[in-house]
Amino acid sequence: MEGRPREEQELVLRARRGDERAYGKLVRAHEEIAFRVAYLITRNAADAEEAAQDGFVKAWRALGRFRTSEPLRPWLLRIVANEARNRRRSAGRREHLALRAAASSGEAAPSPEEAAVGADERRRLLAALDELPEQARLVLACRYLLGLSEDETAAALGVRRGTVKSRSARALERLREGYGPRA
Amino acid sequence: MDLERELRALVLAWPETPGLELELELAPRVRRRRPLLVAVALALAALAAALAVPQSRGSILRLLHLGGVTIERVDTLPAAQERPLGAGLGPVVTQAHAEQALGRLLLLPAIDPPPPLHLSQNVVSLVFLDEGRPVLLSELGYSDAGILKKLTGGLTSITSVRVGGGPGYFISGGEHVFLFPGAPARLAGNVLLWQAHGLTLRLEGRALTLARAVELAALLRNR
Repeated sequence: MEGRPREEQELVLRARRGDERAYGKLVRAHEEIAFRVAYLITRNAADAEEAAQDGFVKAWRALGRFRTSEPLRPWLLRIVANEARNRRRSAGRREHLALRAAASSGEAAPSPEEAAVGADERRRLLAALDELPEQARLVLACRYLLGLSEDETAAALGVRRGTVKSRSARALERLREGYGPRA
Repeated sequence: MDLERELRALVLAWPETPGLELELELAPRVRRRRPLLVAVALALAALAAALAVPQSRGSILRLLHLGGVTIERVDTLPAAQERPLGAGLGPVVTQAHAEQALGRLLLLPAIDPPPPLHLSQNVVSLVFLDEGRPVLLSELGYSDAGILKKLTGGLTSITSVRVGGGPGYFISGGEHVFLFPGAPARLAGNVLLWQAHGLTLRLEGRALTLARAVELAALLRNR
């Protein structure tokens, strides 16, 4: 893992010189998280795909302005998330969040955390999350469902890091109210 | 368990991440202008040929791929004229020859007698009449479905469509230019592009509507 940032930096430098293969590797490394961020925003897989594709093309064009001393992922997520927001606005629709609790993690045995949270509770928690206002839902989804850092979340949502902190705290409070006591 | 841990422990069924296939040009460091046209290049060989002719294209603003078809949104109109749909399609070949060249069975309309098939650089084409108007059907022998979609403004409309469950585009309105292997550039009519049975197909007609194009596409069969 320690080698990755250096490798990524080299790929960025090569991509800035026009090396499409290098950029392709960067895309592969980040396309899943970028697509999922876009999906959270657009709530539509096709729109999210377009947002991710267009975002990566825009990032390629803007790579000369990227500061190589900084991590690439937040920068990419900011661009893709902007594309996703544009699509969401232009689409003018609010589809129901299509996330659902997976039947299983696909692993042979559930993790301790999975075992501790039963299927019904997972569904209830997701339903409560889905009912939150947009800002609250997105900040929690980025932080906890996608596991983004505060900086990455801030980049994706186009807000300051401090806003992520305060918004997360308020969102958790609202979620707690909506989730309610367990049966 | 506290709420944050419960959230982190959720296992979600995300939509499958699509493999993003980006075709990139070196980013032009110039102020963007409004796209004026869409150039439709058929087959990568044709694209390469077009790129070799400096006056034939301007800066590429956007690239779309559908199998062997490349759609470019560019900012400068290449020199092109209206030409008959059947011009420059290559020599007439037998169906067996055409299918051998593509490595696939062709999808053909039910027309008796069948219209002649032309072959040029791995592209099989035929022209037939639909409601009295000529329609050009071209088929390519491969279908690596790397799609980069971009639907932006401009004089030409590019609509993402599904044809028989597969991906496609309908290109209409405004002027766009068709580059065919070995043929001079020409102004194209409305075009439906789609993929089916391992083929990339292209249907063109001056007055072709999306609805009619999709109907015609549905009538094509291995014959």
